Amino acid sequence: MSDFHLVRRADFSIRRLIICYAVGILISLGIGALLLSGLGINPFEYYKRMLTMGLIGNRYAYKCIEGLLKIFVPLLITSLALGLAFKMRFWNIGGEGEFLIGSICAAIVAFNSGSMPKIVTITLMCLAASLSAGIIGLAVAALKVRFNTNETLMTLMLNYIMLYLIRYLGSTKAPWNFFLNPESERPIFGQFADNCKMGGIKIGNFTLLYSVIAAIIITVIIYVYLKYTKQGYEISVVGDSSATAKYAGMKVGKIVLRTMFISAALIGLASGLATATAGTISESITNNAGWTGIIVAWLAKLSVPAIFVTTLLISVLQYGCQAAATQYPAIDSNFADLLQGIILFSVLAADFVATFKIARKGGQEK
Amino acid sequence: MKKLISLVLTASLAAMSAFAFAGCASTEGGSESDFRVGAIYINSQNDTSGYTYAHHKGITEAMEQVGLDPTKDLSIVDNVPEDAEQVKAAVDQLAGEGCDIIFGISFGYIDALEEAAAEYPDIIFSHATGYKSNDTNFNNYFGRIYQARYLAGIAAGYKSLALGNNEIGYVSAWGTEYAETCSGINAFALGCQSVNPDAHVNVYEIYTWGDQDLERQAAETLIDTFGCCVIAQHCDSAQPQIVANEKGVYGCGYNSDMTAEAPDSHLCAPIWNWSAYYATAIKAAMDDPSTFMTTVGNYYEGINSGLVAVSELSANNEPQAQEAIDIATDLMKNGEWDVFSGTALSFSGDAGSVAATQTDKDLVASDGTVIAAAGEGSIDDGVIQGSMNYYVAGVTQVNSAEG
Repeated sequence: MSDFHLVRRADFSIRRLIICYAVGILISLGIGALLLSGLGINPFEYYKRMLTMGLIGNRYAYKCIEGLLKIFVPLLITSLALGLAFKMRFWNIGGEGEFLIGSICAAIVAFNSGSMPKIVTITLMCLAASLSAGIIGLAVAALKVRFNTNETLMTLMLNYIMLYLIRYLGSTKAPWNFFLNPESERPIFGQFADNCKMGGIKIGNFTLLYSVIAAIIITVIIYVYLKYTKQGYEISVVGDSSATAKYAGMKVGKIVLRTMFISAALIGLASGLATATAGTISESITNNAGWTGIIVAWLAKLSVPAIFVTTLLISVLQYGCQAAATQYPAIDSNFADLLQGIILFSVLAADFVATFKIARKGGQEK
Repeated sequence: MKKLISLVLTASLAAMSAFAFAGCASTEGGSESDFRVGAIYINSQNDTSGYTYAHHKGITEAMEQVGLDPTKDLSIVDNVPEDAEQVKAAVDQLAGEGCDIIFGISFGYIDALEEAAAEYPDIIFSHATGYKSNDTNFNNYFGRIYQARYLAGIAAGYKSLALGNNEIGYVSAWGTEYAETCSGINAFALGCQSVNPDAHVNVYEIYTWGDQDLERQAAETLIDTFGCCVIAQHCDSAQPQIVANEKGVYGCGYNSDMTAEAPDSHLCAPIWNWSAYYATAIKAAMDDPSTFMTTVGNYYEGINSGLVAVSELSANNEPQAQEAIDIATDLMKNGEWDVFSGTALSFSGDAGSVAATQTDKDLVASDGTVIAAAGEGSIDDGVIQGSMNYYVAGVTQVNSAEG
């Protein structure tokens, strides 16, 4: 058996891709259907509800779109930011931690903003979030450049440090702790004043948050940055081979520092926007964007337009899974997560099958 | 290549959702009854024990009582953390499904539910353990679990008297920080003292609502170091009772009848019966939601409504315990007497002729402050629910506040 090995497919066929993806998704939905039937639920009804995100027959359908966008915006910016670092082969898996420190710093601004006008407070919150996250990213990059430390471990561990920091702030009643609601006997996070909450454009009942517009502008800027600027070109050269980059006279260390700062600062910005939208902080404010963003970036093969589309699809999947689980009392959110995981896993597997093939040693193809 | 892959991914999923949309247009939604109940849980609805389980059981039982089908007329968002943004998202989903009343069971949902009540004036929001409300569609509910703890204290008091050991242990999630735990400890101690005036309650605080290892260690310390003969608890798991069983002492559990876990040692446990509230609330909301805040309002009931109770007394109890508990239960049910008042109960007599004596007596805190003067009625509910942050005489915390 050991004479089988994986080979990247040399040829490319769109037909094969379509078939792989379709089969992958169908298999995952089939597994889900079996589980659902086992629970006595009609899988077709369930999937219908999942893919329409519970919009049909919903009294407050516009709320679904708002809810979807609240998942979409932070995930989009985080995925783009992670993609930026991954392109340079810098494994920033610290999205969660960078998001959390950004959120904490945005909250520091919000809780001490007094009566400044909204545009000032929200700008300051985003700035604080970006800078704090950026500095964390810069520190990891500096250690990598100077001492060649392992950035995967560094960023991973920082996630937990930040998580426990916010947990500590959320559970410690003390005179200095302005994060907490002073009225409550039990420690809970306070709410921001109205001048620190994200506003939006009213379209009927629906509110299009300014953060959505900001996210789209950021996407365009990153696209242009990567595609048409010298810095963007440097990132891809360093990613392909840092030796080549060095040979071409690029200052690799500087590029790594700069890119990692931008990557982390963008995640901080996502966090600042999300924190202002939520109007409070919590340890679950990230909604796992730092983790899911890694999947998005890789599924999209680090291409900016593809990240945009993939984020949208994954947000629909997330929101839809939750919406479907809500309607059926027998289904809990663990099942929704499970189903989501099966679908993502099969898409990744399909992608793998479409890209690689199994070959036998000695050139004889199977 | 990259672009093509993403294009195909997009196309395939878009095609699927388009197909699903088209499919929906032709079929109509299943028939549903008019009234819909929504619930937001902190843990999973499929839990088999614990806090969420007790509430889910209460809601489904109550729905059956009032003629609703919990498999059809109930929408749940579970595993919702105490995060305002996620609670609001859950409310939006439940509102979209047409829920008429939404229950939120965790304390930290408080601000999000208050906001939601203003945003959805047609929906009733009901929040367990909270303290906020409005005049039209937002109430809070909780129960006088301290009454049940007093009753459990009676059983523990008889046991300590029979064993000739005044030291009683209490494993508590929190101490004086929260009125909920503090009032429970005090009521339990007063129950013990109604039988054994010299009873001394040793509190071991574990600083978390649930941690099986810490619960176990706390019980071991109380038994081995402080020589306690009965172990009571205010924490999630049955570990303190299991330890009591192993070490041959006795115990009072919490939340469910823990005789199953500790057959040779468990006396009885204060328990919740949430369906008592849920049935009242759902029925009121079905009848006329506009009067919900006058018919139900902020709900704080106890033994009288069946919301709290003690589990059936096991065979490990002293023979007088059942009679004494029945007497105290009746007094509380009739509203003649309550735990935190200027009147103390004391039980005497053998099995078959147990009698309660009511004596007017100052209720004093462990630092000597008078909580209720002799003869005074029950102290304010606000104190029991919110500002009680002291132990009564006869209670000491054995581990320091520094933890």
